[in-house]
Amino acid sequence: MIDRSTFLAQTLLLAAFLGGPSFAAEDEALKKDMASVIALQGLPCGQVNAVKVNAENDYTCRCKDGNRYRVHINTAGRVIVEKQN
Amino acid sequence: MMTTPLIHLGRITLLLLPLIAGCAAIAPAAPIAPVPQIVAAQPSTAPLSDVVTTMPPTQPLTAAQATQPTAPLPSTGAFSAVTPRASSTLAAAPVAPTAIAIEKKSVLRAAETAAAAARPQEAPASAATGTKPPPRPVAAVAAVAAVAAVAEPAAPPSLDLNALKEQLKETKAIGVLTKLSLKNQVDDLLQQFRDHYQGKAKITMAQLRRSYDLLLMKVLSLIQDADQRLASAIVASREAIWGLLADKQKFSTLEV
Repeated sequence: MIDRSTFLAQTLLLAAFLGGPSFAAEDEALKKDMASVIALQGLPCGQVNAVKVNAENDYTCRCKDGNRYRVHINTAGRVIVEKQN
Repeated sequence: MMTTPLIHLGRITLLLLPLIAGCAAIAPAAPIAPVPQIVAAQPSTAPLSDVVTTMPPTQPLTAAQATQPTAPLPSTGAFSAVTPRASSTLAAAPVAPTAIAIEKKSVLRAAETAAAAARPQEAPASAATGTKPPPRPVAAVAAVAAVAAVAEPAAPPSLDLNALKEQLKETKAIGVLTKLSLKNQVDDLLQQFRDHYQGKAKITMAQLRRSYDLLLMKVLSLIQDADQRLASAIVASREAIWGLLADKQKFSTLEV
């Protein structure tokens, strides 16, 4: 008889196997979204390497060229891109 | 016992069943019909300007208006086949349900609400003070329409502004924040038009046209790879939308 822990381990493994690609795809989509937003503001970036979620609709992006930007939505509903040092 | 491995195998099969079903559900990419190359460059206005120069001037041009190389004719017949349809469907077009995910909708809705609250109310008197441009001679209008018909024999159907807005909302080619950022820039441009028509800003129609072209180029560059159909539709309706924006009376009726 298969024990409970083995069954749980198998389930978790399967969940990780199924869920991993979708998380990676969402991450890539978010990076692309951020790169587009930064480019629309006319700021240099090229490609976004990493995105850190600070809060809801508030992100910090690290670009391939070394620039870092904070992208957020202000109370007036505008997308704001601020260069970080 | 002999049944233990069988039960084990059965459970693994049950666990793998969704995975197998998921793989089987992935359809091969649909063949994309060849779409003509999208050219974001401004259409040549040389024939239009030739026609304009042959017409008798009905009102004196200012220096700024005279130096507008790309400003189209808002009231010429070239756009008359498209513009009335677009403007008439603006009021009657039903709002299609968007395909954006729920959380993405909420982000956009919250942003729109906040923007609407922050936006000053448009003065209703601006519509009343609008002056209609003088009508063009029939021969010139027919010539312009003929030139336009020859230049674009197989153009896809044009969009009205609401349809364009809905399709841009629904497209998967760009992310939510990019859409919101584009919407901000569209709102900024519309505000510039309002200021221009109300005489608040000294921005000329040529400058507005340049801003409009740049914004359209940004939109096209963002969507043309992932949503070629929408990009083609935007290119096709480019002049029709400009016709709405560049005409003071039509602009005042827009609810955007």
